[in-house]
Amino acid sequence: MVNLTIDDKQVTVPKDATIFDAAKAAGIRIPILCHDKKLHPFGGCRMCLVEVEQMKGRQIPACTTPVTEGMIVRTTTDEIIKARKMVLELLLLKHPIDCPVCDAAGDCDLQNLTYEYKVNANRFQDEKFQHKIDYENPLIERDMNRCIHCGKCARICDEIVSFGAYTFMNRGIEAKIGTEFDGPLNCEFCGSCVSVCPVGALVSRPFKFKARWWSLNKVKSVCSYCGTGCQLTLGVKDNKVLTTIYDENQGFHNGQLCTRGRFGYQFVNSDKRLSTPLIRKNGTLQPASWDEALTLVSAKLVEAKNAGGKSVAGLVTPRLTNEELFLIKKLFKDGLGSDSIDHSAGYAHAALTAGAAESFGSAASPSVISDIQNADLLLVVKTDAYETHPVVGFEINLGVKRKEIDLRIISDKRGKLSKLPKAVTYVHKPGQEVALVNALAQVLLADNLQDSTATGVEGFEGLKQQLEAFAPEKIAAACGLDADTIKTLARDYAKAAKALIILPLGLGYPGHGKALAQALANLALLSGKVGKEGCGVLFLGEKNNSQGAADLGIYPTAGGADADAILAGCQSGSIKTLIVAGENPVVSYPDRKRVEAALDKVEFLVVQDLFLTETAAKAHVVLPACSFAEKSGTFTSVGRAVQQVNQAIKPVGEARSDFAILNGLLAGLTGNAPYADAAAVFAEIAATVPAYAGLTIAGLGDTGAILPVTVKPRFVAAETAAVTAESGKFALVTGSALYHCGTMSRFGEGPMHVCPEGYVELGRDDAQALNVKDGDTVAVKSASGELRLKAKVGTRMPQGVVFAPYHFDEASVNSIAVGAPVTWVSISK
Amino acid sequence: MIMPLLQGLKITFLHMFKKPVTLQYPDERPNVVPNFRGLHGLKVSHERAKCVACYLCPTVCPAKCITVEAGEDANHDKFAARYEIDMLRCIFCGYCVEACPVDALKMTQEFELASYKREDFVFVKERLLEKK
Repeated sequence: MVNLTIDDKQVTVPKDATIFDAAKAAGIRIPILCHDKKLHPFGGCRMCLVEVEQMKGRQIPACTTPVTEGMIVRTTTDEIIKARKMVLELLLLKHPIDCPVCDAAGDCDLQNLTYEYKVNANRFQDEKFQHKIDYENPLIERDMNRCIHCGKCARICDEIVSFGAYTFMNRGIEAKIGTEFDGPLNCEFCGSCVSVCPVGALVSRPFKFKARWWSLNKVKSVCSYCGTGCQLTLGVKDNKVLTTIYDENQGFHNGQLCTRGRFGYQFVNSDKRLSTPLIRKNGTLQPASWDEALTLVSAKLVEAKNAGGKSVAGLVTPRLTNEELFLIKKLFKDGLGSDSIDHSAGYAHAALTAGAAESFGSAASPSVISDIQNADLLLVVKTDAYETHPVVGFEINLGVKRKEIDLRIISDKRGKLSKLPKAVTYVHKPGQEVALVNALAQVLLADNLQDSTATGVEGFEGLKQQLEAFAPEKIAAACGLDADTIKTLARDYAKAAKALIILPLGLGYPGHGKALAQALANLALLSGKVGKEGCGVLFLGEKNNSQGAADLGIYPTAGGADADAILAGCQSGSIKTLIVAGENPVVSYPDRKRVEAALDKVEFLVVQDLFLTETAAKAHVVLPACSFAEKSGTFTSVGRAVQQVNQAIKPVGEARSDFAILNGLLAGLTGNAPYADAAAVFAEIAATVPAYAGLTIAGLGDTGAILPVTVKPRFVAAETAAVTAESGKFALVTGSALYHCGTMSRFGEGPMHVCPEGYVELGRDDAQALNVKDGDTVAVKSASGELRLKAKVGTRMPQGVVFAPYHFDEASVNSIAVGAPVTWVSISK
Repeated sequence: MIMPLLQGLKITFLHMFKKPVTLQYPDERPNVVPNFRGLHGLKVSHERAKCVACYLCPTVCPAKCITVEAGEDANHDKFAARYEIDMLRCIFCGYCVEACPVDALKMTQEFELASYKREDFVFVKERLLEKK
C-alpha cells in the first residue's frame, strides 16, 4: 500500500493504483474524457492534469501516473483549471457544437465539462471538420466530426470485444478514428463503442432522435436473452422501452453488453405483440376477453385434473422469472397432479439436470463467472461459447489478453475465440466431443496425473475401466486429432494450477447433454480441479433463467413425461391438454414435422406468449403474456447468480404477466387464495428450494446474490453416441448465431437488421468444390427433409462440416435436423 | 360633507373632455406592444421550420404544454415531426422562446385565442408555422 496526499486528504491505495484511482478512492473527482475503468490508461485527452509537488509544478496526467509514497497532489489549482479550459477550447474548436440535434446531449462528457468549466468563448478560430458521416449500417451511426479522439471506441473494441473494428488513421490534424480501409462499419455490432463514446460521435441508430437522455426514466433490470445474466438499464419513456443505457458500475461485466442486449430490446414494444387473448372459433383465432379465455382454460384444466392429471402436460420457457416457474410447477404438481412438464426440448438442460446433478450432486455449475479471470487455463468446449454467451466471451477475451490465460478450445469448427492470442483450437470431427473428453481423462489416468483426491471419489474404479476404451490411440482417427495432440492437451490441462472448463448449452446443441457434461465433470474431478477458485466446470445455460428452471424443477422429477414424451403423447392422444408457456417448439425443437403433427393433434392447446408465434398459431387459446420489462421478479443465471428484474413499463395492451395468469389459474384449481405478489412467491421459493434458502428480495438489492454450490463428487461413466459418417455427405452441425438467442430475438429490430435470415456456413474448399459463392442459395437435403438456405462461405468450417443457426422460422433448420448432434446432409446448388 | 362629493364630480367632469382609456373592441383594435407574449409561432427559414426538435422547450416548460416528437428526414437531419402546444395549459411565460437554441420559436402579438372546442386549443405544427 502507498500513502499519498491529494488536495490535503490522506489516501492509502494499492501500489498499482494511478493518481486518478487514488483520487477516486478519496472521493475527489478528476475530470476525464479518454479514461474508462475497464480499459488500459491512455492519457490522450489531458483533462485529468494534476500538479504533484515533488515534480516542481509540472502538470501531469492523473490517469496514467502511478502513485508513489508521500506524493502530494493538487487537483484544482488555478493553473490546472486554466490548462483544462484550454483543452476544452481546443476540443470545441473542431467540434460542431450541434448539441440541439445530437443524441448525446445531456449525457455528453464534453458538454458537461464545458458547462462545468464555463468555457463560453473560444480564443481560437478554425474550420470545422467535414468528414463524411457513416449512415450505412443500421445500428451504429458514426459522425467523426463530433469525435474528440479519446480512442475509447478503438480500445474497447480491441481490448474487450477483440474485434478491432476501429483504429486511428492519418496524422496530425487529419487524424480520425477509421475503419477498415475507411469504409463503412462492418463488425459484430455489440455497440460497446457507442456505450463508451464520451460525445455523440457514435450513436445508436435504433434510438436516434427518439428521446432526450434527460427525459428517460432509467430502470435497472437483467437482460432476457442468454444465460449470462448481464444487468442492464432500460431507458423508458411513455410506456416504451426506447434504449438500453450504459452504466459502467453494473454487474460483473461493468455494463458491457452484446449486440442482443444492447440493440435487441425492441421486441418489448414491437407492433407484433399480442394485445388481447385469442380463442379459436370456427377454425380461426379470434380476439376474446380475458374472462372468456380464462374460463375456457380453467374448465379444461379442471376436466384434466378430474381425469387424474395424466392427460395434461406443459412446455415452459426458461425465460420466465423464478416466481413464474415456481407457480407453473406448483400448478402442475398441486393443482393438476401432473409431473409432465419440461423445458428446452428436454435436452438443452440435461447437462445441468442430469449431468451435473449426478456428477456434482446438484443441478448447477460448481463454478462462477469470476472464475474465468482467475484461471490459468481455460478449456472451452466449442468456439460457439462466444456466440451463445458473448459477454462471457468478453471475459474470456480479457482473461486471455490481460492475464495471459492459456486458452484451449475443443470444437468442431473454428470461431472468434480461435483468433485470440495464443489460443489453440483442437478441431475434431463433429459429434466426437464425449470421446475426446474421455480420451483426455484417460491420458490423466495413464500418465498418473490424477489428483490424490480423485481415487477416493465414488465410481473411480468404474470410470477407470470404462476409460480404457478411450485411449487416444484408439479414438484418434475417429476424432480427427492425432494421439499426441490429445495427450499434450490432457497434460497441459492437468498441469495447470487452475483450470476451468466452459460448456455452452442450448437448443442448437443436442450433443451438449448429460454425457458430455459428465465426461467434463470426470475430467475436472480426476485432476482435482473442482471447488477451488479458477477451477471447475462452468455450464452456460442457454436462456436468461435456464439455471432457475433447473433449480425449480421444470422437468419431470417424479416419473412424468419429458418434452419428447409429451410430444409423443400429444400425437398418440394420451395427452389431451397442452400448456405452452413461452416456448416455440415448432421452430426450436428438433424435427419440425413431428412437432407440428403433435401440436395439430392435441385436443386443447393453450399458448402463453408475447407474439403469435408459429406455435401460438396452432393454439386453441392464446394468452398474451408480458416481457421482462413489464414484470418484476428474479432470474437465476450462469453460476447461480440470482438477480432482480424490475418492472419498467405497464403491460402492453391487455397483456398480463405469466405470473398473473398462473396465479389466477392456480388459485382457481386449488381453491387457495392467490399469492399477493412476486415477493410472496419468492419468499416461498426461499423457504422450499434448498439452494435459495435464506434469500429475500430486499437482500438481493441491485447486485443480486451468487448462491454457493456444494459439490458431492461422483464419477459417472459418460456414454458416447455412435456417429456413423455417411460418405459423400456433409456433417451439419446446428447452433446459435451471434446476433440471436432462441426465437425471441427475431422480434427485435436490431438483431434482424444484422442477421435477418437463416444460412448455411461452408468452408472455402467445400464451397469451391460445390461451385458455391457467398450469398448463393443452396439446397440442403437430409434424410428428413430439404431446405433452401443462403450459403455463407468462410474460413471457419473444416472440410466436410457445415453449420446452420436454428432461430429462424422460414427454412427452419429443425425441418432437416431431428435432434442428433450431427445431421448428414447433401448440398447442391 | 359635501366637499368629497364635489371633488368626485370634478374628476368625472374632467374625464369627459379627455381621450377615453377603453377600446370599442372588436370595432377598435388594440395596439399590441412588440414584446407582448401571445400565440407562439414557429419561424420558417429556407421553406422549412427552423425547429430542430431539440426538446429544450418541452423540458423547460413549467406548464408541460409542449409536445415534440423528432423525426429523421431524407438527409438524416432532425426535424420536428410533431410539434404541439396546448394553449389551455400554456401560461405564456415565454421560457420556450428563451430556451430555444436555434431561434426557431417566437411569441406573436396574436391574443385572440378563444375557441368553441377543447381540441381547437391544441395548436399543431401547421397552425403554429409563421404565416408569410
